[in-house]
Amino acid sequence: MLPIVAYLDKLTVAPGERLAVMAGSFGAHTYRADLRRIIQGDTNPQGPGYKDEAIALDLGGERPAEAKGFYPGSCVVVPGRGMLSNLDDFTLAAVASPTLLDERERTVIAMPGFARIGIDAEGHVFAEALGRRLATTGRVTRNMWHVLSLAYSGGDGRLTLSISAESDAAGEDGQLEAISVPATAAPSGATEILIAATRGPNGRPGTFFDGKIDRPALFSAAVAHDTLRRLLADFERLSRTRNLRAAWDFSRKISTQTICDVSPFQLHGRIHNAPARAMTGWLWKGQDLDWKKRPDLYSAIHFHSTDMYDAAWTVDFTFTVPEGLGSGVYAVRLVPDGDEEAAYYCVFALRPPREQASGNTVAFLFPTCSYLAYANHRLGMDVPGTEIGMGRAVELDRHHMFLQANPGIGFSVYETHDDESGVFHSSRLRPIVDLQPKVRSFLGGFGSNVWQFNADTHILGWLDHIGQHYDVITDEDLHAEGLQLLGRYNVILTGTHPEYHTGNMIAALQGFTDRGGRLMYLGGNGFYWVVSFSEDMPGIMECRRSEAGIRPWEPGHGQFYHAFTGEYGGLWRRNGRPPNHLCGVGMTSQGFDICEPYVLSPAARDPRAAFIFEGLSKTAKIGDFGLAGGGAAGLEVDRADAAQGTPAHALVLASSTRHTDIYLMTPEDLLDPTPDWSGTQADIIRADLTFFETAGGGAVFSTGSIAWAGSMAWNGYENEIAYITANVLRRFDNPDRFRMPGGREDGQPVETRSTES
Amino acid sequence: MGRYQLSANDLQFAREFLASPIGYHSPGLQRVLNRMRGADWAFKYVLVVERRHARWRLGRMPLKRGSAIEMVEDVVYTDLLEAERDIFRRRWKDLTARPLDLGSDDAA
Repeated sequence: MLPIVAYLDKLTVAPGERLAVMAGSFGAHTYRADLRRIIQGDTNPQGPGYKDEAIALDLGGERPAEAKGFYPGSCVVVPGRGMLSNLDDFTLAAVASPTLLDERERTVIAMPGFARIGIDAEGHVFAEALGRRLATTGRVTRNMWHVLSLAYSGGDGRLTLSISAESDAAGEDGQLEAISVPATAAPSGATEILIAATRGPNGRPGTFFDGKIDRPALFSAAVAHDTLRRLLADFERLSRTRNLRAAWDFSRKISTQTICDVSPFQLHGRIHNAPARAMTGWLWKGQDLDWKKRPDLYSAIHFHSTDMYDAAWTVDFTFTVPEGLGSGVYAVRLVPDGDEEAAYYCVFALRPPREQASGNTVAFLFPTCSYLAYANHRLGMDVPGTEIGMGRAVELDRHHMFLQANPGIGFSVYETHDDESGVFHSSRLRPIVDLQPKVRSFLGGFGSNVWQFNADTHILGWLDHIGQHYDVITDEDLHAEGLQLLGRYNVILTGTHPEYHTGNMIAALQGFTDRGGRLMYLGGNGFYWVVSFSEDMPGIMECRRSEAGIRPWEPGHGQFYHAFTGEYGGLWRRNGRPPNHLCGVGMTSQGFDICEPYVLSPAARDPRAAFIFEGLSKTAKIGDFGLAGGGAAGLEVDRADAAQGTPAHALVLASSTRHTDIYLMTPEDLLDPTPDWSGTQADIIRADLTFFETAGGGAVFSTGSIAWAGSMAWNGYENEIAYITANVLRRFDNPDRFRMPGGREDGQPVETRSTES
Repeated sequence: MGRYQLSANDLQFAREFLASPIGYHSPGLQRVLNRMRGADWAFKYVLVVERRHARWRLGRMPLKRGSAIEMVEDVVYTDLLEAERDIFRRRWKDLTARPLDLGSDDAA
């Protein structure tokens, strides 16, 4: 377990800027903080050894470690602004489709202290108001819309709870159940309305609802249920209804946190903890699949008791990152109670100054989108099949044990919520306990078994070993600044598994190589999924896994478009930016047991590739060793494929020629499942080491394998895989243009098969 | 639910596994492992790291998210391949109600 965990307010910062540290005790009494530069995070005794460097910066002395908690669960909060009184008669209503019913009571809509509608532990709809509690005898059905209303009429002195189930299959009116009791009017003391939760005794939202809610409303009159159903189905008419106090149309401002009231009172609200918006509503029957074309049909929000955006911990301390400190990967290290072994590392990227280039011509693209996608992932714990993919038992280290004990920390986009719907969002405004050095993983292969950040430190360690000066820029920096930022560099190096990219990032990288930039893609399954950032919610990322791809869930029918941007979610391959076009290769298979060497192809002897193998004796195989599964090719592997956009002149220098039968075909390529698409049988399951030049004088080198870096770090970075990588880096950092083979450039004939100017 | 049921016919694959727990497996052994490692479990055997790369304890992790992991008393491994072999034997017994006995072909 982890006695202390923490997070920073940013994952990327420039020299001279401030960082805030939020720490929470899970057993620690005190802690001390210091700043470290992270050089190599893998602790495998077979590897080069853990290495970091203390930075001389006083971050204060011993501090008390305060216990802080996680409070997941999403809802809408609407401040009353004085408009929730004078409700002698009233109707409180919502249309709801529950997706999880279990032993907990859940709130659909509440005016705390006055009235509430919810679903009890047995699945009955209940309501509370005027000192009375009512409950239906019938139970709600999961994944079915129900119109719920609670009405009070002073005229007859009766409080009535009504519920009608709305059948999707038939066009008939739903069956109505209504319960009525005598009650005496009482003034509303409510100061707010909560949707999908109510206030708990601690003042926080609680009794969260799991499911969809559409068009909640409040009237200052008792409205008959049939009338109510007709009104709710027509926002235009509803908004003109004289006794309407508020009605919320979730289809407005879908990409923001704002919730819009369509009544003249404008009782607008905000979402809390980022529930899923742009979700099919009560009236969606498949009429359209894109919320941008028919937003009126996307009037539901899917709430989860497990949603998490901002842990909102109090700040322990802030500090200014010193001017003059070189760009790199750093961590604020928190040592609890003097126990260095139990230290927690808040990792961040120190990017170069914003307004001026550092002078470095090489940059490592720190893949924060991919780190966010996997943030606090629980694959080996929540997905039983992970062990099949690993080919061995799941290992749980202290950070996994912390995750198991604290699911409230929030999920990665690999998890499902408790109602089995997919997790669309991942946020950095919470501790990310797997974004640390020293942590073990599930998917890193037999050996070091490191993944994402910690695997990427094999590359950082190698850069340190060869004495390379480099900057670190993050996905967030690239998303915000685009090609302007990349234009500072000759060479961009990726991490081992840069899988998630925004449109801005892909466009910038393509623009970079098209204009002469050099890309070293040192990983596998890169540039695969579309992700989006929110302009209204810093630090959160959206991913909807539509149609294809190896994925743990689907977004649900009609819900393939991102709420944050309206982009079509899923694979870049289906969005006009196939990874093969950018880097020559694209995802073909995965397996997390053992890895293989590459076998050189005749193309390795092409003079265009001579610089890659310079100084090396050309053996038939390369990379028959490594910290990740014992080989350079594996874990997730990419193939060159002209049909997917690999340039015709690309050289496939070497390929893996077999994998275990744990390696299977990706769904997007497995159009007709037959039992021969496995690692020992199908030639298409391979990693292709690929190189090509671009028309703008740039070049791309792709390993098509996550395991490559695990081989770079073998034998203290002294091996042919590390040397090949160094050869490529050296030539790529040379500004001399690369020339396209056999083509014409700038109107001038060029010599066929020439390599360098 | 897993359809495949272990039987005496799988003893050959048990031998194959114990000889080489990680890496290339015959299709028959892979099917046995899929049955053992797949979703059809109330709990999963896991290796809880006690000392990095050196010492592991055996745990039983319930399927329900967030459940406490039950540590199996007095089971400590210092070698991951030995851990795999031990977990295989335990699962064989769990699935067949008999210990893995490679001395006789009617063990399952």
